[in-house]
Amino acid sequence: MRAPRSLVQLIGPVGLVVAAALVGATVSRTTEIYFINALVAVSMVVALYVFVGNSGVLSFGHISFVAVGAWTAGVLSVPEAEKPAFMPYLFGFLRDTTVGNVESLVLAGVVAGVFALLVGLPLMRLSGLAAGIATFAVLEITNNVLRYYENVGPGLNTFSSVPETTGLTQAALGALVVIVIAFAYQRSRFGRQLRAAREDPAAARAVGVSIYRQRLAAFALSGFLAGLAGGLYVHFLPLQIDGVYLDLTFITLAMLVIGGATSLWGAVVGALAVSALDSVLANAETGITILGWSFDVPAGTRLVVVSALMALVLILRPSGLTGGKELAFGSLRRLRPAPAEAVE
Amino acid sequence: MADDPQREDTRRSGATLRAASVSRAFDGVQALREVTLELHRKEIVGLIGPNGAGKSTLVNVLTGFDYPDAGTVELAGRCITRWSPHRRGRHGLARTFQHSRSFRELTVRENVEVAALGSGAGVREARRRADDLLERLSLTQYSSAPAGSLSHGDERRLGVARALATEPRFVLMDEPAAGLPEAEVPDFAAVVRSVRDEHGAGVLLIDHNMALVMEVCDRIQVLDHGATLAEGDPREIRANLDVAAAYLGDSAVHEDAS
Repeated sequence: MRAPRSLVQLIGPVGLVVAAALVGATVSRTTEIYFINALVAVSMVVALYVFVGNSGVLSFGHISFVAVGAWTAGVLSVPEAEKPAFMPYLFGFLRDTTVGNVESLVLAGVVAGVFALLVGLPLMRLSGLAAGIATFAVLEITNNVLRYYENVGPGLNTFSSVPETTGLTQAALGALVVIVIAFAYQRSRFGRQLRAAREDPAAARAVGVSIYRQRLAAFALSGFLAGLAGGLYVHFLPLQIDGVYLDLTFITLAMLVIGGATSLWGAVVGALAVSALDSVLANAETGITILGWSFDVPAGTRLVVVSALMALVLILRPSGLTGGKELAFGSLRRLRPAPAEAVE
Repeated sequence: MADDPQREDTRRSGATLRAASVSRAFDGVQALREVTLELHRKEIVGLIGPNGAGKSTLVNVLTGFDYPDAGTVELAGRCITRWSPHRRGRHGLARTFQHSRSFRELTVRENVEVAALGSGAGVREARRRADDLLERLSLTQYSSAPAGSLSHGDERRLGVARALATEPRFVLMDEPAAGLPEAEVPDFAAVVRSVRDEHGAGVLLIDHNMALVMEVCDRIQVLDHGATLAEGDPREIRANLDVAAAYLGDSAVHEDAS
């Protein structure tokens, strides 16, 4: 009887993604790109949320899992004939293997998830600031390996010839899959133990929660989902190593913080809201006309605005636009206890 | 470390929690000197002493949040001195904290369920234990409220519910009545007794509320400057003048502890 009640919390995130996809289907081809981009962002931010939101530990390293997923899916789905053109130094088995669209996405998740698990084995022993900084180290290492190690990918070249299968449908389906997995995790015994540890580590340990194991599990799952998002990303646009580095790290964290880092609803709202703003500003940088008004803002405006917005949210509403709460329907779920008085 | 072949055995014969000659120093200050304490199931032992006597250090050593410099901690005859807190938690050792420390953003029910999950129960079993404990501790009406919104007294009972959800053999309560309105103390005393009588657990009760300690405890151990000053039943302790000097003060000895 409790399961259906908690499923209500899925309505908000799923509804919003479906709505975004439906609106995206009605607009022009050039505008549709922004909707696809926003939906891929939802996958990335929700993946990040699975670890950061449930554990309360910041990660600057998740874009390395996005990058690993993108590299995996990209390298494996470029037609064999096209690979030598921009990836001349690939290992033999990568050069001679090409997989289909769905397989490449699943493999992207699996490879990134295993990578996250291995990285997490030592890192999840850290906590607080140390953990955050260490994940930053992971980003640097991964980025430089992918950038210069041309046996596993294009290095500095752009991923061209990756089949562009991430249209509106796949971007939306991908986001929904990530959301449902994230939701199932947060309701599971593992997710609940990790959330308790987020609230009070000592009290959680006292009731038998192994914080290390729970964080590691979340990190690996989060890495898997980030890899999947990376796969979607590389199938969406011709990606290059700088596309999965600092800017993306910052913008995904900003989306999570702005939306509200401790709820799935917050992650989805943040990803879509900031994507919308970002799209408008990116257009404005090249000059746009809205309702007869012409805009032309200086280059760099989008990151300036998004950064300022994040700082503002942190100051004015530290738990994000959604307050870090799941979307509640009906008065029942909003029920607060009567003012506490002596019982009996 | 996780799979213990002897785990089931320990559960069955887990009759005693014992700290044997434990010592612990912080920066040259001796917080505990060769303290020995035994707690059996189905009894309530009071641990009292002035501030800085080493009570909380002893609880931390027993629950794995601190390790002794010398001496051992035994659970049912097994040495658990170096075990982590969560491993002890899974083997029947539960504690409550000063200032409650509930999982504030989680609901009252989730607080209790997650404790059951942490101790190894399945999801359904956790729900059953939560139903039962919320009912027993008169918290059912708040079950879907965030724990952070509870009143002080309710939060104290939630701490007990959370500890009991792990189906512990021993519960260590660190100042559970601190800040509790005097009127709620008798109710809380009944809760402490029910842990012994209905759950069959051993309770180590640390508190400054002498009325509560004297009323519910079967035995009392007094710490002062990190060493055991006296042990005995409440009447003996009351009569012990060393204790009076160290802790109660002259007037308190004659106070009625109903």
